[in-house]
Amino acid sequence: MSSRLRLWVLAAGGLGVAVLFVLACFDLPAFGGLRHPYGDRAVHAALARHTANTVSSVNFDQRAFDTLGEESILFGSVVGTVVLLRQTRDEGRLPPEPATVAPPVRRYALIALPVTLLIGLYVIAHGQLSPGGGFQGGVVVATALHLLYIAVDYRALERIRPVGLYEVADAAGEAAYLLVGTAALVTGAAFLTNFLPYGTFNTLSSGGTVPLLNAAIGVEVACGVVVLLARFLDQAVEIESGDRDDEAEAGT
Amino acid sequence: MSGWTAAAAALLLCGVAPAACGAATGPVRRRVPAQNLTTTLLSLVILLLAQGYGRPAYTDPALVLAVLGPAGTLLYVRLLADQLAAHPPRPRSLLAVTALSYTAVPAVVLPLCVATGPGRAMVKLLVIGVLLVLGSRVAARAVTAAVSAGHGRTGPAEGMSDG
Amino acid sequence: MADDLPLLLGLLLVAAAGTAAVLVRDPVRQSFVLSLFGLALALVFLLLQAPDVALSQLAVGSALTPLMVLLSVRKVRRKARSERREEHE
Repeated sequence: MSSRLRLWVLAAGGLGVAVLFVLACFDLPAFGGLRHPYGDRAVHAALARHTANTVSSVNFDQRAFDTLGEESILFGSVVGTVVLLRQTRDEGRLPPEPATVAPPVRRYALIALPVTLLIGLYVIAHGQLSPGGGFQGGVVVATALHLLYIAVDYRALERIRPVGLYEVADAAGEAAYLLVGTAALVTGAAFLTNFLPYGTFNTLSSGGTVPLLNAAIGVEVACGVVVLLARFLDQAVEIESGDRDDEAEAGT
Repeated sequence: MSGWTAAAAALLLCGVAPAACGAATGPVRRRVPAQNLTTTLLSLVILLLAQGYGRPAYTDPALVLAVLGPAGTLLYVRLLADQLAAHPPRPRSLLAVTALSYTAVPAVVLPLCVATGPGRAMVKLLVIGVLLVLGSRVAARAVTAAVSAGHGRTGPAEGMSDG
Repeated sequence: MADDLPLLLGLLLVAAAGTAAVLVRDPVRQSFVLSLFGLALALVFLLLQAPDVALSQLAVGSALTPLMVLLSVRKVRRKARSERREEHE
């Protein structure tokens, strides 16, 4: 079958798929109506548990087990990346060249770092009230810490950022989620039940276990992302493949 | 469709779309300032939509974008410093892009502050405006600094040492 | 129809960014386009009244994804450069 014939077959197939797709799109139900059976029940349950942000209530209260799975996916991929990007025996570690950072950039980054950190913590803490939550705030916190990489050179960042501590904190965040879920078992309810008092609606302490789980996820995501980027930065800036030394030895 | 939503659509069409085209095509010296302009204008669009839809909770994504957009631009400048130094942007076009950010931010934030009225929400809007202006300013400064540093240095950038 | 205008613009932006992401070949340029694609997606999520998802997309796509892509490109180019140097020696 010549290449041209193949392209004609592809075009015919693509046209058929496009026609079917357009017909299907016209038959779709209208988007975003005012009532939906699941939506109504989810909002009703969220309000009954004094959680203003229904999405957070669904994520951390009504379907908290799914969020445990998602968190474990992130944890597992960070562990996998650490294994893949570790320094192997045939690689050497070179000290990175000191980089000069322009004063306006350094000034901005050193001001933006606490501001971004604060915004990240705000997003984590207000997960049950406004859009946001542990995951979004955790990523913002991790990005804030990497503003250090912009503000100073890599060696200074390494001194301020002890990776081992972040790895421990990552595991601690994952464990904290499990512990809060297991604590519900102690009270006689099912795993990950919302057993704490619900509090006053629209305040920081509302929602029962939702703020706690938000905090656990926030710690886990922030530390996981910091560890992930630390491995990438190490490989890109410091670790050198040791093949050159083998070549030199074979030559002599 | 309220006036705010119409303004958001207009800003999208005339601001974000051309800036995104500038950031997606062309040499690196055009992409970096265009990326910063795109994030700034998109943050303003989100603020307008928040007012248009009557949902003050939507200002949180705008706040996050106001800090993360410049962070992304600074990362690009840091990691692509040698390419920027080799082909520096024209100072006039850089100045034009920055001036555009400086005019767009107050033009959107101040009417929104008037519409919101005094209170915590207005403080949040002002904080977002200040962050956007500071972000555009530092992006322009970083690009010029990378260009001038590259001219003074013959070696490659950090992490690319030949020795 | 007029109410849908921002949504239509957002969807067109997503389609354009997605096509551009496929057509660009150089990884450095692709990191810019991917960041723009993320921004367009975040806008569409916001227009479809899903601010939590928009926040997630903004957080991940603004600084994290470009950083990882550019660091990988830097590592690969370093290796290629050192291999070229071996050939010259």
